[in-house]
Amino acid sequence: MTPADLAFFVLAAVLLASALGVVFTRNPVHAVLLLVLTFFNAAGVFILLGAEFLAMLLIIVYVGAVMVLFLFVVMMLRVDPAKMRAQGRAALPLGLLVAGVLMAEMAAVALSFAALPGAASPAFALPEGVTDARALGRVLYTDFVYPFQVAGLILLIAMVGAIALTQRARPDIKRQSVADQTARRPGDAMEIVKVTPRTGA
Amino acid sequence: MDAVVEFFAWLWAFWPLRVVVWTLVVTIGVLLAVAYLTYAERKVMSAMQRRQGPMTVGPFGLLQPVADGVKLFAKEMVIPAQADKTLFLLAPMGLFVLALAAWAAIPFDKGWVLANLNVGVLYVLAISSMAVYGVVIAGWASGSRYAFLGGLRSAAQMVSYEVSMGLIIVCVVLCTGSLNLTEIVEAPRPAWMQLLLFPMLVVFLISILAETNRAPFDLPEGESEITGGFMVEYGSMAFALFFLAEYANMILMSAMTTTLFLGGWLPPFGIGALAVVPGIFWFVAKTAAILFFFIWARASLPRFRYDQLMRLGWKVFLPFTLVWVVVTAGAVLAFGGGV
Amino acid sequence: MADPALLATYLPVLILLLIAGGMAVWMIGFSLVLAPHRPDPAKTSAYECGFPAFEGTRGRFDVRFYLVTLLFILFDLEIAFLFPWAVALRDIGAFGFWSMAVFLAVLTIGFAYEWARGALEWE
Repeated sequence: MTPADLAFFVLAAVLLASALGVVFTRNPVHAVLLLVLTFFNAAGVFILLGAEFLAMLLIIVYVGAVMVLFLFVVMMLRVDPAKMRAQGRAALPLGLLVAGVLMAEMAAVALSFAALPGAASPAFALPEGVTDARALGRVLYTDFVYPFQVAGLILLIAMVGAIALTQRARPDIKRQSVADQTARRPGDAMEIVKVTPRTGA
Repeated sequence: MDAVVEFFAWLWAFWPLRVVVWTLVVTIGVLLAVAYLTYAERKVMSAMQRRQGPMTVGPFGLLQPVADGVKLFAKEMVIPAQADKTLFLLAPMGLFVLALAAWAAIPFDKGWVLANLNVGVLYVLAISSMAVYGVVIAGWASGSRYAFLGGLRSAAQMVSYEVSMGLIIVCVVLCTGSLNLTEIVEAPRPAWMQLLLFPMLVVFLISILAETNRAPFDLPEGESEITGGFMVEYGSMAFALFFLAEYANMILMSAMTTTLFLGGWLPPFGIGALAVVPGIFWFVAKTAAILFFFIWARASLPRFRYDQLMRLGWKVFLPFTLVWVVVTAGAVLAFGGGV
Repeated sequence: MADPALLATYLPVLILLLIAGGMAVWMIGFSLVLAPHRPDPAKTSAYECGFPAFEGTRGRFDVRFYLVTLLFILFDLEIAFLFPWAVALRDIGAFGFWSMAVFLAVLTIGFAYEWARGALEWE
């Protein structure tokens, strides 16, 4: 067993243990942090496979961004364990159904991939002396330009959706307008009045 | 396969030992630098405010950081009753580990780098993007209003400025064509490139102030409103870990600026004659200059308001850096040619 | 498994993580063991201005924090797409440049929409 194999088994074991922890822990914040640990170990496995760039992206995008949102959502929950258990039991049949459908779908996808011709060999071998980020950049924006543009459209939809879900107009709040502030001249706010003695303004 | 086994046998024989020694040297070096950065900060700020600063402990107060450390070590660690005790202690430890971990990829001199990663820039970016957790978890685990608010604010601030930092790094990568920090330092930089990168250097300097929660963007710990933010419940060594992490991050970000924009260990202004001085000297000098900027900003500028901070990040820096990415790419294609 | 020489560049990262983690545990551990530890109810209560807290501490907060993180995820993904492009731009030339220009233009529409709807405003 090479040190790399040993590293793989350690990473895989911690990955599985923390993934199980996500499911079984009672505290939702702990669950999110265990999921972060899961991603961290997955990034380690990516590195063992030589996919350094993807490993770093996994951490930057999933750990650095997506899980922060999860954490925000979960931190706001005020969980009452007894109530949650009762609700969980009521939703059990529906949950099992959804989980079953998802499992079946994932199995179908995995099996159909395995049946594809040439699935056993890697799709692209890295050219000698080229990093994986560079190899990815060479094909992603030229050979795969349509999927790439579709990804851009999906991001656009996500942006619009995010605003539609969370944005609300707040007319009751004063906002600072820098342009108005700097455009303001002494003449707009005050006038100089010559007051003659004993007559008042 | 035999060759691989032999290679690893050779590796285990002595290479990891060397790595451990060098890692310890870097770790201790960073921690010493942190200790004396706190001293330098107090001395520089006091000079700017016509005071003497620490003078009592040791000659010119030079032993002040040691005294501070011993005092923090001897203090009682108060763990609030309503805190999540595990996370309360894990948060400062996590932040401390992250602040040290990023140093693995920083090249101090030609070939003086712990881990010469192909994706060095992304490694540092990934590590610094994880620092958000330390802050949010500290705020949440304390179980105090001020801490919670401070943690949230800090998280929103850090992610906002990470966007512009990412885009600036893309500009640098466009010019150098590599994600490896050593190659980024060594890549040739003609005059047009330096001209293009200069505005990015300015934006990067301001962004790292916000990313490390330093004045004038120190809202997460704004004493006047939220009394110390996410750190309010911390004392003793747990507080010391936060403190060490914050200052180690300051030095790290200065070192990153040096590496990305100022040519790392290379002599300044491309003067070849200055190369007789060892590269590590130039690296430290450039990093120290940027640290001086950190302290200078703290001594001179009043704190931002939160809406101003968010506006600067999202409405000024983000569009500007985004446009600049396209401009830089166009220039690289026009002048750079196919390399 | 990947090339051992590539994996070897990550060994220092692992060692640094272990050393830093060990130091953190050591510092907290010694402080817990050696420093005095005499908690009392007043000392361990949440910090307030001298009175007990009125309500629970992990309450609701402004929806804007979600919006900021949501937008951050989207822009982070955009940056993720920019990195391989920046590395390989010299290889893929003008076509790659315009390919990214269209991608960025689409996202700029989204950005303009956010701006117009006031989503970037903090109040």
